[in-house]
Amino acid sequence: MMTTSVQLIPLLIVAAMFALFILGGLGSKIRQASDYGFAGSYSSRMGSGAAIASNWMSAASILGLAGLFYLKGYYAMAFVIGWTGGYILLLVLLATQIRRFGKFTAPDFVGFRYESEAARTVAALISIMISMIYCVAQFRGVALLVSWLFGISYQAAVITGTALVVTFVVISGTLGVVRNQRLQYFVLIVAFILPLMFLTKKLGYFWVVPQFGYGQAIIDLQTQFGFFWSEPFASISLFKWLALCFTLMFGTAGLPHVLSRFYMAPSIRDARWGVVWGLFFIALIYWSAPAYGVLARLYDARAGLAFRQPDPMTADLVTLSAALQGGVPVWVVGLLVAGGMAAAFYAVSGLLQNGAAAFAYDIYPRLFRPTATDSDKLVMAKGFFLVLAAGVLLLSFKPMGMIAEIAAVAFALAGNTIFPAFLLGIWWSRTNAAGVLAGMLSGVLISFSAPLFGGMLPLVETLFPLTSSAFLGAPLVVLVMIVVSLVTRPPSSKVVAFLAHDVHDVGER
Amino acid sequence: MSDDNTDRGINIFKPQAGLMRGEVRVIVLVMSAWLLAVVGSQLAIWFLEDSLSGFWLTELFFFNLPIHFWLTGQFLPLWFILLGVVFNLWMDRHESRRMDGTIRLRTTGRRKEEQQP
Repeated sequence: MMTTSVQLIPLLIVAAMFALFILGGLGSKIRQASDYGFAGSYSSRMGSGAAIASNWMSAASILGLAGLFYLKGYYAMAFVIGWTGGYILLLVLLATQIRRFGKFTAPDFVGFRYESEAARTVAALISIMISMIYCVAQFRGVALLVSWLFGISYQAAVITGTALVVTFVVISGTLGVVRNQRLQYFVLIVAFILPLMFLTKKLGYFWVVPQFGYGQAIIDLQTQFGFFWSEPFASISLFKWLALCFTLMFGTAGLPHVLSRFYMAPSIRDARWGVVWGLFFIALIYWSAPAYGVLARLYDARAGLAFRQPDPMTADLVTLSAALQGGVPVWVVGLLVAGGMAAAFYAVSGLLQNGAAAFAYDIYPRLFRPTATDSDKLVMAKGFFLVLAAGVLLLSFKPMGMIAEIAAVAFALAGNTIFPAFLLGIWWSRTNAAGVLAGMLSGVLISFSAPLFGGMLPLVETLFPLTSSAFLGAPLVVLVMIVVSLVTRPPSSKVVAFLAHDVHDVGER
Repeated sequence: MSDDNTDRGINIFKPQAGLMRGEVRVIVLVMSAWLLAVVGSQLAIWFLEDSLSGFWLTELFFFNLPIHFWLTGQFLPLWFILLGVVFNLWMDRHESRRMDGTIRLRTTGRRKEEQQP
């Protein structure tokens, strides 16, 4: 996959697309950017669904998923189910209530619900950790694409990519560019599905709906090359599959930047229907992602490498290599790269701004400078943005795993900490500050128990694998929260009354 | 789980009368359908893989895809969307029914100024 020269046409298309987004954002008359950097307009439920989907899309969806399909086959389906099924958890258990709660960020929610500055600070620190881990996954995607575009080494591409992301955020911020998420989603879906149509058409498969058409490639792999996808749980057990799947679901319902979406919907009904539209738009991408992995296997087989064990380093670029091997026109390749870059760029800028806001608004004024004014906080947010970017840059130099796997660690952390804090915070009024603090801290410990204690206790590694710890971890954290809450003082009657009247709409007024 | 607040506090396992009781019932239904589909489909695939040395997963095609790819990769996300639509339709009706009887001021949530602590 390494190239040594600059890929001129794809590079131009990438540049043109970013110019389109920036200019489009400048022309937009709708300005709703909040202090926390969640910008976007909602004029319809479908539009808000597209915004949810484009807010969700990242390098993990566009590149990581296909890479994992190519490498591990059916195992990667756990991501498809985890990242779609999680939205049902969100919709059914949290969306309505979060909208009624009326708090803008996860630390805000935790601080208000549990009436504890300590809990708010811990939630902010955890949000920053989640942002950073998720960003490391995105940086890997950016670096791989930049490395291909410019024909430079991975390490050089990490630095170049970071510089590009920071420049992009600074330019967008200075010019006051509003993020047009519906336009972005539209570009992304075209960039992802069009190459697939070209590929399946060229192979003579059913190309109109390539989400089904790629099945022919599985049949061809079986009949012509003796390569089978028919042993889903042979190398990776059913337990591991379910653990990963449920971890991703709990994480989806616990990711701070996903939860933040609901505070801004104009009404409760819009919030709910937005989620369902969002789920549909997300599913459009995930119905298609396996196709890239399968087609890449077919091209390998045709090149006489049917049973080659792929290199995890290149597997993450399999979306791109499939398009190149399949001989799609160069402008379509450019579009695909641009789609991947856009997804990763917007994910990174959103996550870093989220992390910086958590520091500047939740930690800095409380722990460092209680007298900080709004403009102090804004300066801190900008400064901490750069600190975070530098931190992620350092973590990204040494490839730690595949994009989807690194992202899964962030989901596991969110599923073990923020998800239980929201779930019990909304559905059990007896949960108190001591409970949520004990819960979140044990959640952090569980998330990293495999690397911390796995050496001494192999059982820990089996039960709480780094990428899949929330399957058993989240219920355990819920248990900790219940037990600790019951043995300590109940929360104030003010919060209980707020939950009953304002969030659940029961009881006397 | 007994405490002073139980009779007026919020507990998903002891929903209060009115809007919340109906809501919890539909939540339980949707969550069951969600859990059953995810775990059930994987158990079924696991069983198919084990029986007749994987014959079904190599020979059984549905919509051009091997049955396990179709079931997990195509059907389950669709099932989630359907569950979401059913839940939303039910909630919309449920809330309108309630609104007919009482004057409700807070249906669109509180105003932005009030959201800051």
